[in-house]
Amino acid sequence: MNISMNELKAALRRCFEASGYFVGNYEDAANMVLWLEKHGLHGLRELQNTLPYVGEDLHKSLSNVIYEDSTSATIDAHGRSSLNCIASAVDLAHAKALESGIATVTVHNCHNRMFVLKALTDRGRSGISAAAYWKNGSDNITEHAAAIKSGHRYPSYSESSVQTVGNEDKQALTIICSSRVDVGLSLQDQDSTIISPQQVERNKNHCVEHGITICDKLWEDINVIGQGVLVENTERSRADAGGQ
Amino acid sequence: MTTYAAIQSSISGDNALPLRPESQVMDLERLGSFHQSRLSFMRTLVRRVFKERWKISPTTFDLDKDGYGTVIYDIKAANSNFSFVIFSNYLSDDERNDRVIATKWDLTMALVEGSVDGDYVEKLRENVPKQEAGRVDSRVFVLSRANRSARNFNYMIDCLANGQQPDIEKIAKVGYLYRTTAVYGSGKLGMADWEKVSTKHRDFARPFAGEMFVCMMLRNFSLLQVEHIAKQRQTDTYTPMDYDIKRYIGIGNSTGLGMAPYLVNHPVLISRWIEMRELALARIRTLGAIDSRIHYHLISLLNRCALHTKQTLTEDEWQTSNNTAVVGDLERLVEFADNGLSDWNTIIHFSEENCSLQGQEMLVSVLLELYPELVDELENFHCTDEFLDLDPLMPAARLKEIMATRYDWALAIDFKAPGAKETYWYRSQEKMEPRLGSISDVEGKKKQMALGVGYAVRKCFDQLSLYVEKNPTHSTARFLVAYPKVRGIVRRVQCMSRSKYGDIQANLLDQNVLPMHLLRCKLAFFGVSKFDPRSKLWVRNTMFQGAPLLEDIGSTFSDDWFMPLTPSV
Repeated sequence: MNISMNELKAALRRCFEASGYFVGNYEDAANMVLWLEKHGLHGLRELQNTLPYVGEDLHKSLSNVIYEDSTSATIDAHGRSSLNCIASAVDLAHAKALESGIATVTVHNCHNRMFVLKALTDRGRSGISAAAYWKNGSDNITEHAAAIKSGHRYPSYSESSVQTVGNEDKQALTIICSSRVDVGLSLQDQDSTIISPQQVERNKNHCVEHGITICDKLWEDINVIGQGVLVENTERSRADAGGQ
Repeated sequence: MTTYAAIQSSISGDNALPLRPESQVMDLERLGSFHQSRLSFMRTLVRRVFKERWKISPTTFDLDKDGYGTVIYDIKAANSNFSFVIFSNYLSDDERNDRVIATKWDLTMALVEGSVDGDYVEKLRENVPKQEAGRVDSRVFVLSRANRSARNFNYMIDCLANGQQPDIEKIAKVGYLYRTTAVYGSGKLGMADWEKVSTKHRDFARPFAGEMFVCMMLRNFSLLQVEHIAKQRQTDTYTPMDYDIKRYIGIGNSTGLGMAPYLVNHPVLISRWIEMRELALARIRTLGAIDSRIHYHLISLLNRCALHTKQTLTEDEWQTSNNTAVVGDLERLVEFADNGLSDWNTIIHFSEENCSLQGQEMLVSVLLELYPELVDELENFHCTDEFLDLDPLMPAARLKEIMATRYDWALAIDFKAPGAKETYWYRSQEKMEPRLGSISDVEGKKKQMALGVGYAVRKCFDQLSLYVEKNPTHSTARFLVAYPKVRGIVRRVQCMSRSKYGDIQANLLDQNVLPMHLLRCKLAFFGVSKFDPRSKLWVRNTMFQGAPLLEDIGSTFSDDWFMPLTPSV
């Protein structure tokens, strides 16, 4: 079915709110999914993988800083979805970059890291150059890089397969922000899939014109979860609306 | 042409004009005392349509003798073409319901980009009459529905069919033939998003321009339809409606709580609308010269407002007493002005000391009428990006200072006092209709909407104060890593502190909160009149009463339909 961006955003907000996301975080999470989908980067596909676990973050520890100096920080996300924690990690990198010129924040134990692109893109609009790098998967491992220049509206994104992998944390994400240099980042692999800022912009224009296509089942799943914020309709409830 | 930079320098900085302070303007009761003005969206829309001489005509007129069927208007605006498609279906009296939960209506309609062919009209016919239960595509950008006024519709047809004009006193009681009960835009039900409308359709790239246009078209259709039915009923005796009566017929509107959360959830936009209104007033106070013509115009408008208010009929005691007070206020203002005026500050100060809030704000609307050259261009600045961006580098200590100064009103509320957190706002399973409950409903309270901005500030401020004591050099970003639960309110405080007017200053959780003020504020920006509260939760009002008619487009245009009066036919 076809829906508008506004409908998707509103439904996602309810969905994340019902899943226990805090005020401010559920708006961020909805915007992250919408941003990916709107810009042709498969936000709904990512969400489909995330949705079965969306309520689990409620029972996990909050992210915390485990190391910090003036130009870097390490955060443990305790297995949370990036939808529910990555915006504040990017904010921290942003703040440190403004103070020190360049900063790196590494987030460990974080899922669904593709959603970082929205938060990165917002840095570009704020006059900060930003980049992120992460690996994904356990059997077929892929690596991912995204970057945006200061003052730009659209990021670049590249993805490729990785043949060998060390013992590093497979759920880590590295964020680099700078107020002084452009931290343009793209994978060196010649076979990598590269999506340019121009392509991202074209995808957005198409979505603005025609809206979003979503499979009925996913739309239903989002809305069913979102019903958790709705109050049962009763005679008393009807009176609460000032009925005629 | 005035630039955005010039507007900004008039609002803040060394060259700023003397705008009224936020503590005065953002008080909820004052916001609920606003009236229509020449910056209201109906006025700005009508100015645009008439100045640009849009061509609007029905290309399909397929109504039976009882007025049921389909009418399609072709709209040639300055930049693009559009279609307004309206479906008129039979509705029994017992099915007629103005609540958002209704499922059938007398009229349903859509505003669509470009021309529509037969197949597309059929697609619309399948979905538009269902409203929330239907789906449309992104060519559609406004959907609405309307119900007949039981009191006026058949009476009007009977009169015209019998060759008579309606009794003005009867028309004055209800100044419309239809009431619209919802007007949807901004991507609802599959429609085009605002991002598309604002970038592609320049003719409607102002807040609620499309929605107001649909109401304007509905009003004109209602006049066309009653004349059509009356003529079909008795061709030999039928007489068309008198032109002045037509002008006096508006569109009824019934607005409930659904509108209230909008004001809290769009603080940047609301603040911008208020900035433009207040900037207009500040320009007038500073630059508005007073001569005999202006003085005469002032007295004439004050008298007109008094008469308009006297002609506003409502069964609500609270509104009746407000209206009585406003009439008295206006009489005092006329008396004051009759003694001579050398500047505007004097009469504004007089009003602040001697008039009700609704009287004071009526004076503001009147002053705006006097100086179109200082006011009208501000309509071009009603749009704004609604980013609530976090400033991650801001020291947490600075954030605390901002809360203490810009949100002093929130920190002054005693949330431990009885009733201070008695109310909660929620969405019902029934069409997600916003409702207002009591915290005695423990289960419902768990699902409350985050509209208690003042209380959220209080809780955040307490946590922040402790954090700053321990970490005096930390940034906001670092604070939020430690306290992610307050991310929403911190972002809001930072962002709104950059605007002149900021947040609405009220405890929306208080047991005595009057949502009516929120509804009235937004409706005043729309440009409605004749507020008729039916409870503290919903209000009837009239749109486009006195506005020029479609048939007037292309003729001379007088932008003077402020506070319309009963015609003397």
